[in-house]
Amino acid sequence: MLNIEHLTKTYGEKKAVDDLSLHIRAGEIFGFIGHNGAGKSTTLKSAVGILKYDAGTITIGGKNIRDEPLACKRELAYIPDNPDLYDFMSGIKYLNFIADVFAIPAKERQEKIRRCADLFELTGDLAKPISAYSHGMKQKLAVISAWIHSPKLIVMDEPFVGLDPKASHLLKEMMREHCDRGGAIFFSTHVLEVAEKLCDKVAIIKQGRLVKVGTMEEVKGDDSLEEVFLELEAD
Amino acid sequence: MLGVLLKKQLSEVFRGYFYDAKKNKMRSKWAIAAWFVFFFVIMVGMLGGIFTMLSLSLCGSLTMAGMGWLYFLLMGGIAIFLGAFGSVFNTYSGLYLAKDNDLLLSMPIPIRTIMASRLMNVYLMGAMYSATALLPALIVYWVICGATAARVICGILLLLIVTVFVLLLSVLLGWAVAKISLKLKNKSFITVLVSLLFIGAYYFFYFRASDFIRELIRNAEVYGAKIRGAAYGLYLFGRIGEGDWLAAAIFAAVTAILFALVWIVLSRSFLSIATSGGNTEKVRYVEKTARQKSAFGALLGKEFGRFVSSANYMLNCGLGVLLIPASGVLLLVKGREICRVLDEVFAGSRPGVTAVLLCTMLFMLSSMNDMAAPSVSLEGKSLWIPQSLPVEPKTALRAKTAVQLILTAIPMLFAAVCAAAVMRETLAVKLLLVALAVVYAVFSAVFAVFISVRMPLLNWTNEIMPIKQSGAVMIVLFGGWAISAVLTGLYLLVGYKLGAALYLALWTALFAAAALILQRWLDTKGSRSFAEL
Repeated sequence: MLNIEHLTKTYGEKKAVDDLSLHIRAGEIFGFIGHNGAGKSTTLKSAVGILKYDAGTITIGGKNIRDEPLACKRELAYIPDNPDLYDFMSGIKYLNFIADVFAIPAKERQEKIRRCADLFELTGDLAKPISAYSHGMKQKLAVISAWIHSPKLIVMDEPFVGLDPKASHLLKEMMREHCDRGGAIFFSTHVLEVAEKLCDKVAIIKQGRLVKVGTMEEVKGDDSLEEVFLELEAD
Repeated sequence: MLGVLLKKQLSEVFRGYFYDAKKNKMRSKWAIAAWFVFFFVIMVGMLGGIFTMLSLSLCGSLTMAGMGWLYFLLMGGIAIFLGAFGSVFNTYSGLYLAKDNDLLLSMPIPIRTIMASRLMNVYLMGAMYSATALLPALIVYWVICGATAARVICGILLLLIVTVFVLLLSVLLGWAVAKISLKLKNKSFITVLVSLLFIGAYYFFYFRASDFIRELIRNAEVYGAKIRGAAYGLYLFGRIGEGDWLAAAIFAAVTAILFALVWIVLSRSFLSIATSGGNTEKVRYVEKTARQKSAFGALLGKEFGRFVSSANYMLNCGLGVLLIPASGVLLLVKGREICRVLDEVFAGSRPGVTAVLLCTMLFMLSSMNDMAAPSVSLEGKSLWIPQSLPVEPKTALRAKTAVQLILTAIPMLFAAVCAAAVMRETLAVKLLLVALAVVYAVFSAVFAVFISVRMPLLNWTNEIMPIKQSGAVMIVLFGGWAISAVLTGLYLLVGYKLGAALYLALWTALFAAAALILQRWLDTKGSRSFAEL
């Protein structure tokens, strides 16, 4: 689904991502962990075509994000680490805006919005301006907008930040359900317990370089993911 | 601490001068110097130049009649008017709506320090406008009447008193707007409505000002005596500029007392207003089937939504929406008379100039619509949305162009048809006037997006920065005025030899070609730049 080959991205003199290769297959929840500034967000933004990278290849469903950005973007949804949405819109207008861009028929979007908003208990607030939303409500809206067009690949940067326990639990269920239906999820997190329980595969990045990748069992063995992570950080 | 906060705010205002967002690096020393020279030329050269001319025309006659105080009363009044008008629309948001309010309030910074830093920002904005009127007035006075120590010191005091007075006016209005806003639902539209009334009053006085000043100079002694008798305070105010120590001391003391009172009023309510979310409209969500739009339609709706959601945006970048059609109506009512006078004045030496002057007027009004100029900057931190969606960057940019085009070209077409209807010219000239007005509206919309892509300001904490204080908006606004001046100037110098029809046709072709070239750039390089921001 998502193939990242030898990705390199520099900011001035600093190599934010250095020769990174990752392969996320359909049906996989792929966790991406690393310390602050390790290069996680840079990798995610490069993968969804927001950031121009210096070297390497990124393909989504076999299509190169550089050569066919629109075709790739039609297959994916992205949620950034901070849900800076259009504050001047109401929640429902934002969802309709996203649905319009993805050409979702009116009836279909109505169904999806109703279902997702009810699940996240956001229906009553959909007519309010986003500027009046809390951080958690914006995050819920960003999640609904990501699911609204049934993307094959969902890329999320710290998706659980700001969500209440119920919404977090719901998001985890939705992620699993999405992958069970043949989709793929690539997300970064600092919550190692969540990654350990949720992910099929995990990659650990340190100073822009991949230090460990594989299935959860391959990466952590008999230890906890936290122990492995801290050990790698100490090296 | 105040210094640190001020430095932060000023660095945001002038960030575009030091930092090239496109290249993601600091500008070179030469580029920084060039930007500041440009700013200086605009403020001192254009605005300062206008007021220097006015001062020169007033100073000599009034001081010779022994009425220097009246000269300073007039110029001081203009400075207060200009300063208050220049800063009044951003005082509310500048004082209370900064995005870093919560951050600063959570830090060990006294609230009065945060308030003082916000006030200083408002003060600098008002002072900048006031000084462009009063500083030339003072310099002209010193040159004509001599610069004694008393005149220079009291003159500087007058400048300080005027700028602080402007601050007080702006802050009181900002405070009133804030108080009202907390209770309103359709804040943007009501703010716009109130502001439009204010603008209407401004233009009423502005158009009356030249008659008033002429009348005042003709009967200076009569009016001078009346003012001294009925409003001695105004006489004293004018005396400051002439070097009257007592008047300066009295006004300095009164201004200081007023400032203290305003400070007390403000400090009692600052925290509650700055941290209030306002009266959010309690709208109940009713599910209904939305009409499906194209991607372009969705982007266009988004741009319109942003424009109408912000009173600041509408007032600072969209006044032409009202003024252009209003000028058309005015032309229908008084146009024939105006054209007759113009024809009489220029018929012999510069035939056809009436059509060019009408075009110039429309160009200047059109320049007041520059909503596309800050449109890329206004994406701010939500820029990731268009960048991550399956939308071609050129489609996103075209939606920005379309908003300005719709809001400008349609009113321009109406006003141009009105202008063509009332002027006495050949059919060809009339048609070319309409064509040029519409083509110029197209050019200015494309040019505004071009500048917006070239000079983005994405890391702002207050929307006023991209809307009012950014280089992009300044270039588009003043650039439009400069083009208007060139259009008339060139005609008066050499263009009349070609005749109005050919002259207008050439400009139409020039703007059409420029618009096509810029649009081509936006569709290619501009789109790449936008995608990589």
